[in-house]
Amino acid sequence: MELFSDYTLRVVALGSGVLGAAAGALGSFAYLRRQSLVGDALSHAALPGIAVAFLLTGSKAPLTIMLGAALAGWLATLAVGLVVRRSRVPYDSALGMSLAVFFGIGLVLLTVIQKRPDAAQAGLESFLFGQAASLLREDVVAMSALGAACLLLLGLLWKEFKLLSFDSEFASSLGRSVGRLDGLFTLLLVIAVVIGLRTVGVVLMSAMVVAPAAAARQLTDRLAPMVALATAIGVFSGVTGAVLSSLIPRLPTGPTIVLVLSSVVAISLVFAPRRGLLWRWISLGRLAPSAALDPVLMHLYALAQQHPGEPDHGHGIAVLRTMSPAGVDLDQVLENLRSRGLVERVDEGLWAPTAIGRREAERHLASQNETAS
Amino acid sequence: MTMKTRVVSLFAIPLLLVACGGPLQDAAPADGPIRVVATTTIVGDLVRTVGGDSVDLTILMGAGVDPHLYKPSAGDVRTMATAQVVVYNGLHLEGKMTEVLEEMGGRGVEVVAVAEYLDPKALLPIEGFDELHDPHVWFDIELWQQAAACLRDELVRIDPDHADGYRARGDAFIAELAELDGWVEERIGSLPEARRVLVTAHDAFEYFGRAYGIEVRGLLGVSTAAEAGTADVQQLAAFIAERKLPAVFVESSVPPRYVEALTEAVAARGGEVTIGGSLYSDALGSPGGPAETYVGTVRTNVDTIVGALAE
Amino acid sequence: MARESSPALEVEDLTVAYSEQPVLWDIDLVVPTGDTMAIVGPNGAGKSTLIKAAMGLIPAVAGEVRVFGRPFAKGRGEIAYVPQRASLEWDFPTDVLDVVTMGTYGSLGWFRRPGAGERDRARAALEEVAMGAFERRPIAQLSGGQQQRVLLARALVQQAPILMLDEPFQGVDAPTERAIVAVLDRLSDEGKTVVVVHHDLQTVPEYFDSVLLLNVRAIDAGPVAEVFTEENLRLTFGGRVGVLAQIAAAESGG
Repeated sequence: MELFSDYTLRVVALGSGVLGAAAGALGSFAYLRRQSLVGDALSHAALPGIAVAFLLTGSKAPLTIMLGAALAGWLATLAVGLVVRRSRVPYDSALGMSLAVFFGIGLVLLTVIQKRPDAAQAGLESFLFGQAASLLREDVVAMSALGAACLLLLGLLWKEFKLLSFDSEFASSLGRSVGRLDGLFTLLLVIAVVIGLRTVGVVLMSAMVVAPAAAARQLTDRLAPMVALATAIGVFSGVTGAVLSSLIPRLPTGPTIVLVLSSVVAISLVFAPRRGLLWRWISLGRLAPSAALDPVLMHLYALAQQHPGEPDHGHGIAVLRTMSPAGVDLDQVLENLRSRGLVERVDEGLWAPTAIGRREAERHLASQNETAS
Repeated sequence: MTMKTRVVSLFAIPLLLVACGGPLQDAAPADGPIRVVATTTIVGDLVRTVGGDSVDLTILMGAGVDPHLYKPSAGDVRTMATAQVVVYNGLHLEGKMTEVLEEMGGRGVEVVAVAEYLDPKALLPIEGFDELHDPHVWFDIELWQQAAACLRDELVRIDPDHADGYRARGDAFIAELAELDGWVEERIGSLPEARRVLVTAHDAFEYFGRAYGIEVRGLLGVSTAAEAGTADVQQLAAFIAERKLPAVFVESSVPPRYVEALTEAVAARGGEVTIGGSLYSDALGSPGGPAETYVGTVRTNVDTIVGALAE
Repeated sequence: MARESSPALEVEDLTVAYSEQPVLWDIDLVVPTGDTMAIVGPNGAGKSTLIKAAMGLIPAVAGEVRVFGRPFAKGRGEIAYVPQRASLEWDFPTDVLDVVTMGTYGSLGWFRRPGAGERDRARAALEEVAMGAFERRPIAQLSGGQQQRVLLARALVQQAPILMLDEPFQGVDAPTERAIVAVLDRLSDEGKTVVVVHHDLQTVPEYFDSVLLLNVRAIDAGPVAEVFTEENLRLTFGGRVGVLAQIAAAESGG
């Protein structure tokens, strides 16, 4: 593509793409472990790490900054673990606390640093929202190396992380060291977060970890496709954000990437087949969560079976009432079923299942019979 | 102590600390120097030069500090509140201090914004913002002369006991600036026309460009609080390559990354541009060096620019 | 110590506490090899805790567990664990075969992937619990009974001599219950040892050889006929034993 013949765009797009890939892949597992907030905590905790790294070394080299950020993130997770183990504070409260405390310390350090004559030289404030357009070759090299290492390790440890995410107790019962696996996963997540700090910044990085996974989950029911999709969405957002920022002047790259990502998530939430809002609205007639088959439908179906060949033979509410537990608002239930196309009112006060309703009832019975064999 | 006593005393501690903080406004000593707080080193230099021994000066921002981003700490607020005069540049240069400075005015501290005394018609507008002006007025030495005159008059008004000193020093400084102005014109004039292009990290040098006939381009716009997009870097790199400029400049108070990214982009286009040096844009140089005063800074900057572009 | 002569599982002095409240107190238990044992007790008696602590999944304040006479750390591979299905997040993107295949991970290292051999073993286990047709079904679409059978299959794949199941009959439909009982019978015939946390007193005499009555302390343990008495039940459940349980106890001859 002509577009990519430009050096700056190549650099920024590559960096953003690497970031999107790592964040998407690792974010998928964080999402499945219900640990998306960890990404947020890690990125906010990175701020004091960056500040201290600068204070101690006076250097702004990418690896120094990343190391400081990674260590601070690591410390934050250790702090959370300590709080959870030694007190009654629940996990996500501890995570939120850690996020706020570390970030606050980071801001204080920034204020202290800004008095120094070489303060602005380090450009530490730029880590809040990123400065993607200022990515240098050395940055992108470091990011790509780390990103590749991350993804490689993820691939090698795939089944371990899958096991850990689905059933860590079972993993433990097999003799796996859950603590060590958890630590490894956190390390990879820290690396993914650290890669993105210069591009989208501390505040927006959490979006990169959460959003691709959330979008991907809507689109598939299997793990490998989900992670692949999340990675692809991450890369797509990164590169598109870079491209858009290169076409429109005065458009900051980091926030643009996050905006592209948010749009993808929104589209996925609405339009995804089967799990998307639009799909559910069309197929069920209303925005209900996955339908459990209503007992009233089953009753109507059973009644209808007494009259084979007469699909319009309706039964009255009084009969249904004797078959249902007390307290069920039959009128409302029947109305609901009717709006979903499962039953119809064949005459005054008489109801029968529709063809769709009969099919649904038969399917349900069939699956129950399967289990009985 | 009972539990209740303990809890109550815990609450008492912060209250006591606040109370012991001491009165916020001390009366000025009868015949001593007046306490003045300046925001940037550039403004501070002005105050020191015109004020001399009659002022006890505190400068909030050090050398190399970016005034667009500087957020005052609680200590700074205290320092300002206990001073008699606060002098700042104004026109939103100290972007994050606007509220605090307004509050100082409310507390009875004399607040002087030197750039805001200038005739608005002489000021440069900011692209896209009709009511706002570019605050980097000190780069036009003529304008800075006017600012010095205003400061001199204000100090005379606030502290009439030392009026003679202020007038003498003020006038001397204005004369020195006139000489400096002539020198800068000559030096810039010595550059071939094609080379009279100054590319820096942010749009600080517009006044300089207008006053001395040199084209000015910045990457970040008037305030460093903005973030440059990829397009901005690309466009500027294309411009530099096209005009075959030999040098671009980093600034002492802005991270060099953007300019470094710029040079890499120009190199990829086959151009050859180096970083010609570091300019003092929004702050003076470190104390003890040649650029520790306004005059020194101007000379150092111009030498750097002419040296790099003349090749 | 020869494996054949040692009981499958020995628990000694096991004590577990949460913030200094004892949840399990000084449990001594011997599970003979080939036994099918139920653990019963009221809510909060520590039944799940006992299994988890014995498996090393939660820390114990005191106590020792031996597997076939060897310390637990060495004998852990001999036990397959079936957790409560409610403790899992079933909205996970994977299918039935994949979950059952996870049972083979114990024999693979960290880096080896499951191959055709492992998957075949998983399929065999699925057939045994009558879930063979559901290989590719996403687990989010399973009913409660189906979930339970998948977890059981996962444990069967491990081909361990001892199985520990936590409330496998809780909230499952009749076909599932039949399937589980069939598996328990098969395991018993093969001389495997099974320990089950069970909530339904009425079925204890029918499904199990021996029983442990638990209420933070071990009230009594042993063959059902001897131990499952009305008196013991009253001690365990604190007088709140229902009619059905009394009938069950009477039927077992206590």
